[in-house]
Amino acid sequence: MINKANTAASGERGSLSSRILGGGSDPDPRFTLANERTFLAWIRTSLAMLAGGVAVEAFMANFFGPELGKIVSVLLLALALITGGGSYFRWLSVERAMRSKASLPLPWIAPILATGTALIAAATGAFILVGHT
Amino acid sequence: MAAQLGPPSHADTGLQPERTDLAWGRTILSVLVATAVFLRWIPHHGLFVGTLIVTAATTAVVISFTRKRRLHRAVRGINQGRIPPDVASTAAFAASAVILSLLSIYTVLFVPLNP
Repeated sequence: MINKANTAASGERGSLSSRILGGGSDPDPRFTLANERTFLAWIRTSLAMLAGGVAVEAFMANFFGPELGKIVSVLLLALALITGGGSYFRWLSVERAMRSKASLPLPWIAPILATGTALIAAATGAFILVGHT
Repeated sequence: MAAQLGPPSHADTGLQPERTDLAWGRTILSVLVATAVFLRWIPHHGLFVGTLIVTAATTAVVISFTRKRRLHRAVRGINQGRIPPDVASTAAFAASAVILSLLSIYTVLFVPLNP
């Protein structure tokens, strides 16, 4: 794939990346930087979920018990996985839209993140209210 | 390094290069916090956690060392009116987050707890 891209783009540097970006023209540089910062905000969200998931499994086992602790931890880590991987595709789709001067796509990771965190919060809250063994 | 005091100037009153640089800085801190949490995981899951720590620390170090280059690139881009999107950095960083998540899930599910 890299070879193909190199031969296709006649010496232009970063031909693979221009192929990934799918043509169009560079937008206002401020928008490119804003998109980069948004990507970083998503990555930080992912890292927070990651640290949270690890912390639940490592430090909260006595509170949740081993089984529920594992479930909450894996849910948080799955959210970290989705937001971490999704951040790149979010960044790319926004960049592509800006290059082709289309309207920006909606972030599909946002509803997943909102639903996931709400579910985890509800489960934890219910666990605290009902009382743990 | 001594020849140049700070990055070259630009005319963006929105301070985009500086804000982007600070966003990278905050992100480095987030990676370091995650690394610290992984360190606390070693007593529970043993040396397998080392893979997480090495991945996270490498990510933080690489971002730190490329930070100045990014800032200069942003300033240059503002001055030239265009910035080539940094596909490689975003892809690599997202890949690092995905690897860390997968390794963590594997650790929770399959690496036995130390007694």
